[in-house]
Amino acid sequence: MSGTDPSKATNVPKPGVPREGVKGVGEDPREQDRDAAEAPGKIWFRDLDEAVIEADRCIQCASCVAACPSDSIGIDEDEGRPTLVKMCTGCSRCWDFCPRSGLRYERHLELTREERGLEQPATYAARADDTAAEAGQDGGVVTALLAELIEAGELDGAVVAREREDEPLRGEAVLATSREDLLEAGGSIYNQTMGLGKIDELLAEADLETDDPDLALVGTPCMVQGATALDRYDHEPADPIALTVALMCTRSFEHDRLLARLESFDVDPEAVDGLDISDGTLRAVDADGDALLEADVDAFDAAGLRGCDECADFVGEAADISVGSVGSPDGSTTAVVRTEAGESAWNRAASALETTAIDSPDALEGLAEWNRRRAESILPRAFDREGSIGITYEHHREAYDGTDREPEPLNPARVHQYEEWC
Amino acid sequence: MSAAFSIISPSRLEARLESDLVTVVDVREEREYEELGHIPGAVSVPADRFRDPSSVADGELPAPGEFATLLSEAGIDRTDDLVAYGDDGGPLAARFLLTAAVYGHEGSLFLVDGGLDAWLADADRSHATASPSPAPTDYEATLRDDAPLIDREGVEAAVEGDAVVVDTRTAAEYEQSRIPGAVHLEWTDLLADGRLRGEDALEDLLAERGITRDERIVLYCNTARRLSHTFVTLRHLGYEAVEFYEGSLTDWVRAEAPEWDPVELQAQVRHYAANGGFEAMVDDLGEDVLGRLKLIGLYHQKQRGYFMLRTRAPGGRLTAEQARTIGEVANEFARAPAEYGGPEQNPVFGDGYLDATTRQDIQMHWIEIADIAEIWDRYDAVGLSTMQACGNSVRNVVGCPAAGLDPDETVDIEPVVERVSQRFLGDRHYANLPRKFKVSVTGCCEDCARSGIQDLGLTPARKDGREGFVARVGGGLSDGPRVASDIDLFVEPEQVDDLVAALADLFIDHGSYLDTAVNRLRFLVAEFGPEKFREELESYADFAFEEPDETLTMDYRGDHVGVHEQADGRSYVGLNVPTGRMGGDEFAELSELANDLGDGEVRLTPNQNILVPHLANDDLAALLEEPLLERYSPDPGPFTRGIVTCTGREFCNYGIIETKNRAIRWARELDDWAEEAGIADDHEAIRVHMSGCSASCAQPQLGDFGLRGEVYRDDYDSGRAADLGLGGDLGNDEFIDWLVGKIPIDDVPAVVKATMCAYDADSEAGESFTEWTRHTSNADLREIITERPARDAPAIGTEVS
Repeated sequence: MSGTDPSKATNVPKPGVPREGVKGVGEDPREQDRDAAEAPGKIWFRDLDEAVIEADRCIQCASCVAACPSDSIGIDEDEGRPTLVKMCTGCSRCWDFCPRSGLRYERHLELTREERGLEQPATYAARADDTAAEAGQDGGVVTALLAELIEAGELDGAVVAREREDEPLRGEAVLATSREDLLEAGGSIYNQTMGLGKIDELLAEADLETDDPDLALVGTPCMVQGATALDRYDHEPADPIALTVALMCTRSFEHDRLLARLESFDVDPEAVDGLDISDGTLRAVDADGDALLEADVDAFDAAGLRGCDECADFVGEAADISVGSVGSPDGSTTAVVRTEAGESAWNRAASALETTAIDSPDALEGLAEWNRRRAESILPRAFDREGSIGITYEHHREAYDGTDREPEPLNPARVHQYEEWC
Repeated sequence: MSAAFSIISPSRLEARLESDLVTVVDVREEREYEELGHIPGAVSVPADRFRDPSSVADGELPAPGEFATLLSEAGIDRTDDLVAYGDDGGPLAARFLLTAAVYGHEGSLFLVDGGLDAWLADADRSHATASPSPAPTDYEATLRDDAPLIDREGVEAAVEGDAVVVDTRTAAEYEQSRIPGAVHLEWTDLLADGRLRGEDALEDLLAERGITRDERIVLYCNTARRLSHTFVTLRHLGYEAVEFYEGSLTDWVRAEAPEWDPVELQAQVRHYAANGGFEAMVDDLGEDVLGRLKLIGLYHQKQRGYFMLRTRAPGGRLTAEQARTIGEVANEFARAPAEYGGPEQNPVFGDGYLDATTRQDIQMHWIEIADIAEIWDRYDAVGLSTMQACGNSVRNVVGCPAAGLDPDETVDIEPVVERVSQRFLGDRHYANLPRKFKVSVTGCCEDCARSGIQDLGLTPARKDGREGFVARVGGGLSDGPRVASDIDLFVEPEQVDDLVAALADLFIDHGSYLDTAVNRLRFLVAEFGPEKFREELESYADFAFEEPDETLTMDYRGDHVGVHEQADGRSYVGLNVPTGRMGGDEFAELSELANDLGDGEVRLTPNQNILVPHLANDDLAALLEEPLLERYSPDPGPFTRGIVTCTGREFCNYGIIETKNRAIRWARELDDWAEEAGIADDHEAIRVHMSGCSASCAQPQLGDFGLRGEVYRDDYDSGRAADLGLGGDLGNDEFIDWLVGKIPIDDVPAVVKATMCAYDADSEAGESFTEWTRHTSNADLREIITERPARDAPAIGTEVS
């Protein structure tokens, strides 16, 4: 008999670098038994799935969802993670823009700084001077800033997170197009909402007057990394994004695990109005602002996204403007304005903000430094701001195989099954 | 089965835990078990380890050996009483218990009512984090003879009325499609606030649905997860005759549902042609209809509201009248609206054009629902069809384009092709296979119809002096390329359609309707192995299997371009249609020539070319003088002759690169270069096959040069690119290896030139290109390919094309 003899198919031993022409760590029949070797560096979504999602390293930034040119990657609402919804064409863009695999995010931050950064970023202590201060966390600066820009016609809307009505503490991405929308969305959300991957959908629902909208994207540093990386290469999904605002972040939580953790402290998630993490303490407060819980944030480790451990970008360096509570007195926000777009937006909204230019606070520097050192100690690959922006599949495997972050075989039971084919 | 199922409350579990009489099994993800904690003393057996959907041939059950290992590692003995829980409300824990029962577990099986949440909530209990380290056991698992599994036939019998068939999915799913006669009982109906409802309430509910203790009960859902919970509950309540269907029902149901009937669907779509067109159709039938339209030959383009229409030509044969109709339809209806460029939509082809494909279909674009009834009317009048040209059915049967003309032919394939085509056309059952199903039939000795890449490829063979075919199965390209396996099976021409039906039946039974990424027939063949596949297939066939005495394929023929003598002394002319694309008016014109000069017949080849047969000498001379043949030449340059492309980014939702215009431009440039370089006469054809993405519609694995659309990115720049492989040779069952990835697209012609120069310099006398690529190491080939000229310095913001 001619043709393929399955008994000759050999499994790739793990750990180890894959043999020539064969990829993946799972038992996918397409990889085990093929009559043509695969191209070096070829990437399918399932490679990303194994290296990032199955390996429990996904940070839910939705860069892959936005990057996919055939819209083959969607969001599994149950898991809050990317999943294939149509045929994968093997174009590798999802890998190229994933900060946990093909995008060397620290190099991207460096290039962004060189290409777009002001000579000297400006740091402010700021608070809103009106009702926004009540709605937003730590002074309502983002709410006030965006509302001013929208009302001035500079922006057509902003992609922000809002707490869902049906589930406590679970955020969802919304497109705010008015001050009212923004006020409703004020406050921090502790899970990823994958807004970057939902821009098309949000725009379609919003039915804006313009075909060429200018939006602000507000989100975690990693989401801003993905958005600005897409923009650097002029990729269409980034076209509507005119301003990026990063919310300083040490980690995001996986929503279900966060609730389970709160419950283990006998805190009813329904009663929690907000969470606040500062100085290593997590505070849960109720609607009256009374503390329901004060606990060492380490106790919530298991509820966090493990992929966040590999991030050294606490401040959101790629963003036009970063905001966070560190280093500012209670009731105000530390804002770092980093690009011309950020500066122009900041000035435009100045009348709605009380701002004081400050030196970068020691506390901020300290936390950023701690975050960077921690990430470097956990990151299995080298942290290299001068390295090439792309990380190949083979390099990823070399660095990650044999660690507790190595690719895990794809579990087809978990993968959304799709019917759309060419 | 002997194992008893019960549902146990958290407090009863706690009491049992204290007396240490049970083994508690946590089916959540391992990480959750470890990091969030678990019920004290529980062992971890994560659901993703005992549900095994990676097997295509079997259902969701794991292999018995794997299950035994899993339980052994968890320290479980066959006689242990097991208590399972998860955090999904019950199905996965129930699934675990069901799996244990099926594999002969002897101890009692308990499901924790409400799972972990109930355990925690009930009495302020908390997680334990200390994990037991059980000593491995010698657990053995074997499928019980009396396991309550029911197969497809059993379900069919149950439908006929000897059981209550219960759909445990959501009401929406049930409404959308279901087994006829099934009653609906969503698994969550048995619960209130996540806990089992009271017995009286349950009995009332069950009685209301006609589920009683003296009935046989058959449960189904989609992936045998939800039904597990209902199963355990019914057994807990003392219902004994409960069985479950392990396979996926989604598409089993679909194959029976009217909306998936191609004949009904075509009637529906016809209705909208005169009643509101596209928008009305989508409003009434939902967006889902766009996927189903493939069943009747309509692919929704990336431009909303417009379709690609695929017309089948079985064996590539068209009457001149049919060809004229197709040409006229393309000329009239395949026209872009002004917003997409109108008459100038395509800089090379203008407007109103069509594409001949590698599977002997004709495709055209910009078709609107409003025009479809008119098109089908014209098609009906001349015996053309678009039904099942796409979708998960027996596709257009590919045949040797020179069938009946070739002097060395041993079997007349025309009646075979016709019988196979007719047998499955309009048949709802066979129109809904797990995936598409491709058949080819060759009657000559040169494998013109490319048996190696078909689900079923037939080539000539002999047995006891009888002429027939030998079957190869499980070939295909795309992202899991596989050369079809010869299963040493001889079939007579009259048996071919029965063989196709047997294969389709096997495919329906064993193929997964859910694992859509890996459910082409080739994965089944690989999983069974060719010998076992043959045995299995024989059980589906209504004729005894024989082995051929002799197979007759001698060679592989790449194309039919040029003037060739027929067996009857007349000639046929193979016209080169670069990339398969030509104007609808030109196609109609060619059909007129075939009518006037030939016998009124036109044929399509698997190279996207066209063949005009039955030309006497004078007529041949007259045809060769026609101006149309300047563009569609029987004697083109080698690159123009060898170019094959898919539709590409112009219309396709998936295409990463534009293919048709690019390929025509390249072929022209490369032919000029070959002429200058003095190598043009050394090659009849240099086959560059370019696919816009990995889906292999241009069959890149067969080309001298195979190209597949990609993107590249460096630190500053990104753009379109292609993966490249060399030396596909179906005559020797050789696909290309993908040698180099992501070559920037504009560098490709230079790479082709450099490779041809290297071949010219390095090859031994008489050595073909494919032979040369095979004797040259991949490393050396890579070096040749990658020594290409440096591109211009990258710039930020370079527009990608």
